[in-house]
Amino acid sequence: MRAPVCVVGLGNVLMGDEGVGVHVVRRLAEEAADWPQAEFLDLGTGGLTLLHAVAGRRKAIVVDCARMGATAGALRRFRAEEVRSTKMLLGASLHEGDVLQVLTLARRLGEAPADVVLFGIEPAEVAFSGKLSEPLAARFEEYVRRVRQELVEPLGDNHA
Amino acid sequence: MTKSVDIGVHHVTRVEGHGNIRVRARDGVVEQVEWQVPEAPRFFEAMVRGQSWEDIQTIVSRICGICSVTHSMAAIKAVEDAMGVEVSEQTDRLRMLLHYGEQIESHVLHVGYLVAPDLLGQKSVVPLVASHPEQVKTIIRAHRLGNHIMEVLGGRMTHPVTIKPGGFSKLPTEETLRDLKQRLEAVVPDLQVIAELVASLADRLPKFQRETEYVALTHPDHYTFYHGRIASTDTKETVDVHEFESVVNEYVHPQSTAKWTRWHRESYAVGALARFNINAGQLLPLAAKTARLFGLQRGACNPFLNNVAQVVETVQVVEHSIQLIDELLTRGIRPETPRATPRAGEGVGCVEAPRGILFHRYAFDENGRCTRANICIPTGQNHANIQKDFEAFVPQFLEHGQDQLRLWMEMLVRAYDPCISCSTHYLQVEFV
Repeated sequence: MRAPVCVVGLGNVLMGDEGVGVHVVRRLAEEAADWPQAEFLDLGTGGLTLLHAVAGRRKAIVVDCARMGATAGALRRFRAEEVRSTKMLLGASLHEGDVLQVLTLARRLGEAPADVVLFGIEPAEVAFSGKLSEPLAARFEEYVRRVRQELVEPLGDNHA
Repeated sequence: MTKSVDIGVHHVTRVEGHGNIRVRARDGVVEQVEWQVPEAPRFFEAMVRGQSWEDIQTIVSRICGICSVTHSMAAIKAVEDAMGVEVSEQTDRLRMLLHYGEQIESHVLHVGYLVAPDLLGQKSVVPLVASHPEQVKTIIRAHRLGNHIMEVLGGRMTHPVTIKPGGFSKLPTEETLRDLKQRLEAVVPDLQVIAELVASLADRLPKFQRETEYVALTHPDHYTFYHGRIASTDTKETVDVHEFESVVNEYVHPQSTAKWTRWHRESYAVGALARFNINAGQLLPLAAKTARLFGLQRGACNPFLNNVAQVVETVQVVEHSIQLIDELLTRGIRPETPRATPRAGEGVGCVEAPRGILFHRYAFDENGRCTRANICIPTGQNHANIQKDFEAFVPQFLEHGQDQLRLWMEMLVRAYDPCISCSTHYLQVEFV
């Protein structure tokens, strides 16, 4: 049986702040024993793998770097229906990812969890580096705390 | 009949780049045809310098989320080559099986999520859920199997963690392999549905042919993705993978910041169609039958048929995976502890990524620290060939007008299944 909750970190850890979602989820995975209902998944840049990761869950928590027009380091919690993707894709390659489109596909297929919560973290620097930039590193514990709080929420809560 | 077009597909979405298509023609005279693409992610080569020989495959798996197993495999083979490590037959078979998981995942994804919408006149796979629900579910089942193989053998659905110098950090149980075999057998009818769907639409692919050189691995024993020597449709001689630089002959072309490659001609192609054109005689029965369904034969030179070759190859790797599992189960899974010690040296690893032949070369110091890296990705090897296709395609199909020409050129790029700017995937949103 799949754990009813998945906590998914997305992004590339070799591209600086792009990998913040993976860093947060890796940290939370260290305390996995405290969260038996949850599975912690580092999906990196796996794109459509997210479709399979969320299938059959009751809740999915997705943590990703997000350009939201906010100040660098800002974290926002939102649901897919609260945002519109402004990403332009060439559509030439499987390697272009749009998380929102994957979640739409999951919904259309009837495989999406009842509750999908996204945590977007505004990057300061997306560039070749294995580390987070200073503004994000300084707030890292806050990100971990915010996502951890989401795990405390009772399942079935479907309100923003 | 239109004789003038002005096409510029520009996308500014990624830090490190993406492909642009530029075409200008006036009164039937083609003035500009360019496939513009920036440099592939060479910075990963800098990233591994100074890193331990034990970590290279894990780091390079992050180059790409779709080819993460493939990059890990090329890297581990190069590391073991440098360290003089021989792996057991069991490890070899398990790695091939894991590698096949990625081929299934990537090919099904490409054909199902990118090519099928093109052929069915949709912008993405999402609307197909309403118009072709059963076919989409079939595609997703097959895709999910690829992911599952990677999860049980690689330890994760993507970016594998079990591949170590000398072997695996965790072996699957025989029960796991028996379960995998059942799943593989169960997916065969699904693949037939996918093949029939693509076959029913294949006449919508443009009738375009351009002879070129095809390059892929070849091996005397089987249709290979993992072993062998470098082969070409232009010569009977094969080249040892250690000499891959003499095949790729990278050079700088003024229109592109990505390096181009050439061997016996001005360009060559890699990928499913290249492998098919070189190794089709070794296809297993069901795969050969699938090729016949499409009328696909050696010597095919319509680049759009790369998608068809991907369908054939998906059947091939499923068939071969079942064979590999039978061989593994016959011998029984034996416990093995990967053993290797570092030494100074240099090694090369070469495997077939879903989208074509991939080369990794690393040098290490006596402590096993990486001192130099060279990664040559398949998409980089296809750039010059895409350009040459464009140059032949545009004058031939110009009269179809701007919109149709633009769609076909985008489809032509997609046919190569390129790995463009795959290193970042951040969300970009506005609140509504």
